[in-house]
Amino acid sequence: MNLIVAKLFLASALQVLAVGAPVPAPAAATKMKSAVDGMSVSIADARGKAGTLVIFTCDHCPFARGWEKRIAELADTYVKKGVGVILINANDPAKYPEDDFAGMQARAKQLGLQVPYVVDETSGVARALGASVTPEAFLFDKNGKLAYHGTIDDNHRDAGAVKAHYLKDALDAVLEGRPAPVAETKGIGCGIKFR
Amino acid sequence: MILPVLTVAAALTQPAPLQVAPGDLAAIRAAVAAPGASAVLVNLWATWCDSCRDELPAVLQFARAHRADGVRVILVSADDEDQRDQVAAFLTKAGAANVQAFIKHGDDNTFISGLDPKWTGALPASILYDGHGARKRFWPGPVTARDLETALHELKKGKP
Repeated sequence: MNLIVAKLFLASALQVLAVGAPVPAPAAATKMKSAVDGMSVSIADARGKAGTLVIFTCDHCPFARGWEKRIAELADTYVKKGVGVILINANDPAKYPEDDFAGMQARAKQLGLQVPYVVDETSGVARALGASVTPEAFLFDKNGKLAYHGTIDDNHRDAGAVKAHYLKDALDAVLEGRPAPVAETKGIGCGIKFR
Repeated sequence: MILPVLTVAAALTQPAPLQVAPGDLAAIRAAVAAPGASAVLVNLWATWCDSCRDELPAVLQFARAHRADGVRVILVSADDEDQRDQVAAFLTKAGAANVQAFIKHGDDNTFISGLDPKWTGALPASILYDGHGARKRFWPGPVTARDLETALHELKKGKP
């Protein structure tokens, strides 16, 4: 009985990717359909020479919405600097219809996304990285090792009031080949609605 | 004459609006550690979070059912601080009573990591402490009435 309880607990507790670890190979190779252009893209496909930024986000969550413009701007800025960027929606649209593919297409168009915004159809990629919240960023350095994991910055509501630019600072560090000043942060957000 | 009497009677039956205080990490820790509780449940939620709203009746029922046992229930809303009145109105309408209500104050990163290392920041989340403020259970995601009752039962039986 205790063993069963323990197993259930382990099954519910996500193992979050550790700083320094790569994306597990099966997750890196998982093809996911992008709402930007309908193409299928994996994290491995999106990999950049200077690093790779994976952000779990969605359409319905007020926190994801609060940060969405900044996420799109960071993507545009750092793609030009050689960082590959992929945005992943791992939510079950049965629980949040706004998070379906049509909703993602509308959001991608509205934001003018220039990077893939893809569907994690089984939520398996989110599970493999240990993502649990939207938005949640995983930044890998040029060698594919996790350099930063966490939130975007310290103010989801007001870009002008941000004091700590966690992700931007980590991106700059990765470009310069140094460790992120803060490698792990946490931010309140919507729990991922796993399939 | 009847109408004013009815109005007064209706006003008397309306619950007083719940007080929602700004709560930083230190305030929540102090509320957890305040003496006199046999167990303390902290529920982290927000009005915009569907699954938080779904689990709220179970949390409030738990608070009502175990008030006499000395169980303290602390609701911490992650709504924006300027939504304090709306949070109070929401909880009052939901029938929240016998609970302490806070609205999160301060930096997310410090708050989340300081409250429970297992909490990723995803809402909802709940933490059960014993009467000495020692953390006994953490639930990432929604809790059910059964989760809470089982955990409290085990806590009272002294299971780790």
